[in-house]
Amino acid sequence: MISIDAKKQIDAWIAKYPKDRKSSAVMQALKIVQAENENNLSADTIQAVADYLDMPGIAAQEVATFYENYNHKKVGKHVIRFCHNISCMLNGADDLIAHLENKLGVQTGKVTPNGFISVKKVECLGACVGAPMFQINDDYFENLTADKIDQIVDNLK
Amino acid sequence: MADIEIEIDGKMVGAKAGEMLITVTDREGVSVPRFCYHKKLSVAASCRMCLVDVEGAPKPQPACSTPVNEGMKVYTQNGKAKASQKAVMEFLLINHPLDCPICDQGGECELQDVAVEYGSDVSRFSEGKRIVPDSDIGALIQTDMTRCIHCTRCVRFGLEIAGMMEMGGTGRGEHLKIEPFLKDGIQSELSGNMIDVCPVGALTSKPFRYELRSWQMHSMPSVARHDLVGSNLFVQTYKGKVKRVVSADNDWVNETWISDRDRFSYEGLTHENRLLEPQIKVQGQWKQVSWKVALNYAIKGLNSHVLKHQKANQLGGLASSTATMEELYLLKKILTEVGCDNIDHRLNVKNLNNTIAFDSNIKLDALEKIDYALIVGANIRLEQPMINHRLRKATKKGADVDALNVMTFDFNYPLNTQNITAPNKIASTLAGVLKSIMTSNVQELPDYLANVEVDEVANNIASKLLNSNSSVIILGEHIVNNEDASTIASLITQIAHNANSKTLNLSITANTIAANLVGFVPQNSGMDVNTMLAFDMRGFILLDIYPQYDFHDLDAAVKAFTPEDTFVISLNSFKDDIVAGYSDVILPIASIYETSGTQLNINNDMQSYMAAVKAPDEVKPAWKVLKVMADLLELPGFHYADSTQVVAEISHQSYVKHIHDECINLTSKHNGVSTIWQSSPYSIDVVLRHSSALQKTKIGQINSACMNPASAETLGLSANDKYLGVPVVITSTVADDCVFINANHATHIQEQV
Repeated sequence: MISIDAKKQIDAWIAKYPKDRKSSAVMQALKIVQAENENNLSADTIQAVADYLDMPGIAAQEVATFYENYNHKKVGKHVIRFCHNISCMLNGADDLIAHLENKLGVQTGKVTPNGFISVKKVECLGACVGAPMFQINDDYFENLTADKIDQIVDNLK
Repeated sequence: MADIEIEIDGKMVGAKAGEMLITVTDREGVSVPRFCYHKKLSVAASCRMCLVDVEGAPKPQPACSTPVNEGMKVYTQNGKAKASQKAVMEFLLINHPLDCPICDQGGECELQDVAVEYGSDVSRFSEGKRIVPDSDIGALIQTDMTRCIHCTRCVRFGLEIAGMMEMGGTGRGEHLKIEPFLKDGIQSELSGNMIDVCPVGALTSKPFRYELRSWQMHSMPSVARHDLVGSNLFVQTYKGKVKRVVSADNDWVNETWISDRDRFSYEGLTHENRLLEPQIKVQGQWKQVSWKVALNYAIKGLNSHVLKHQKANQLGGLASSTATMEELYLLKKILTEVGCDNIDHRLNVKNLNNTIAFDSNIKLDALEKIDYALIVGANIRLEQPMINHRLRKATKKGADVDALNVMTFDFNYPLNTQNITAPNKIASTLAGVLKSIMTSNVQELPDYLANVEVDEVANNIASKLLNSNSSVIILGEHIVNNEDASTIASLITQIAHNANSKTLNLSITANTIAANLVGFVPQNSGMDVNTMLAFDMRGFILLDIYPQYDFHDLDAAVKAFTPEDTFVISLNSFKDDIVAGYSDVILPIASIYETSGTQLNINNDMQSYMAAVKAPDEVKPAWKVLKVMADLLELPGFHYADSTQVVAEISHQSYVKHIHDECINLTSKHNGVSTIWQSSPYSIDVVLRHSSALQKTKIGQINSACMNPASAETLGLSANDKYLGVPVVITSTVADDCVFINANHATHIQEQV
């Protein structure tokens, strides 16, 4: 379930924590395993990570469902995580999300029919200073406007 | 910890520095509302219901996580405290449904109680409430997760007490749900306690669903009878029926937990298989008769077959070890009064010359303070859940546990080593341990140890035992029919003596300690059970025996009971075809909670209990039946008005302890595959076998004959086969030369294969 390569990467993280605290590496391990499995986590892969880290499956599931950077169903090549917490909301995030949905013809939580982009509404990403903002894969885009969103999305390859 | 004084609501009270405020208020009887706090679980401080005003603190403080300090002034009832509690209550009720009329928790709901006191009459929340889908988590617990207030008591219970984290909080913020991860449902043998700890109606008892309100029932204190602990519980009854069982607090025995086995076994009482009327067999036909007729028939039969001919030596008395102490004592007294010495309760022991004579000398509360335990032949988590719980507590404080088992079992704590050892190698391994210890102690070795090889496993265990300050050696059920049983028991006694360890005998269960105390074993030169079964007997009195489960050799038992000139009086609580086949009289006797009685537990606590309900129909408590039988036999000394007089009589007598010779024989060479037959944990007695919810659980359905590939090849079996009627499971976790059977059905199926 977890490739040898992924195990090596996870082991590197385990080594950073005290010996009896293997489970501290759960976030990184989930991330590594997710990257290997078409960018999403199934119940089985979460259980496999938990087993590898000697922790209960439900404890890994708690982490995997708490953070927004884990996906639990098929996602597009690019994942747009749109913040809708207080700062972004006050700066018009809701309208911008509606704009993005219209533009892509897809609702939040879904993937475009061509499998290229999926949009998720997420909680605060810690970039209130640049609200409204979203994250595409590993990059932040701040001070968004409708025009800026169009430009960014059109440039995705 | 120094004693300090703090002020609560203007009253000075003593406390220990550092303890949490809520423990002080609880001790002083000051009421502080709470949901997430539970005295036996870690502090979560997540519900915020216990906010109180502490002088000097700018904001209200949660009593459950505020340590007390000298001179602290606390107000639990002032404006600030009340306002905070009221505000928290309003938040908690935002998403809680107003479905109390159809909620099983209604009337015993912590949320309901606190809402009455702290809630507002009118809700200011007009938005939609959230709804959480339920998951089916098994046959014992009903979920209604929309009612959940996220106190996480069930999550912490799983993590901290059951030792398997099964429930968890997934999602975040408003999407947080308490749910299990896998859809297999809850597997813990202690899962029912989640129902008790849940402060709302999110987790309720499935068998009890929609039955009754808590205030409609009588609650009777009683004692569980399925293991060696005798957990204290409350039996809740309505119109003479047991409706529910919940735990009672007793730190000395079961703390505040009970096993699922003790909680849900009551369901068996109302099973259609209950035996309700006395019956006699006339010319091969069963006739339902009155007690008077049945008892007269029984006494007449006993007289004509046995007593009239002075053949008391051809009468036998056998009892199930689940019987109460009074029943065992009275049956023994009747038998000895009529001159019969053939008495026994050790029905499942193959070779009575090879028995485990072994005393426990450690109490439950001491068990959680040990620093090393060696388990020999036990799947302790499922066989003795509450004792395992104490061991688990010890491991949490750093104790090491080694196991010497015939196969790998699931433990809910990490083991130091789990040594998988063939049944015929256990004695030699233990001899190695003894030799290693005696060598380290520079003691002279007895002859039998001269040629013993000490391997690494033995050396490791020996050094653990020697380096421990308080260790215990636990002898389990799987050794009962081991060819080396008495050698193993004697070796453990020797090891314990030389390593200054305590011992715990878990090879017995239910009320066996009481059976041994009242001497329900062959008297003088009387026959033991196996001798009786092989002898030409004229009569038997059998107390709640179901041969296909209770005897290791069903055929021998049926053969001994069946002959026309053997008169068999059976006292049973459930109907059984095999019993009907050989008996001449069947007398219906009360089952658990229907009779007063006494359980003697591993602490040697004599725990007496009253009947919680009257037995149904014509069913009578066995002690009364035995008393009347004694009267009809015109035996002296049976003038008991109630069962407490029997206990009083037992306590006034002294009993000779049977001292067995130390017999250590390491020369016996038994080869070939040996079979260890265990009833699965929810099939060990007749009530459990009739408890439908328990039978539907994963543990209830355990039914497997486990063996390793080599043994399977020797026996010519593959994975789809059955061995002695039990499905074969081939796994390398089993030792060589061993089949470990955990069966949830009768052994007689083995005869049909």
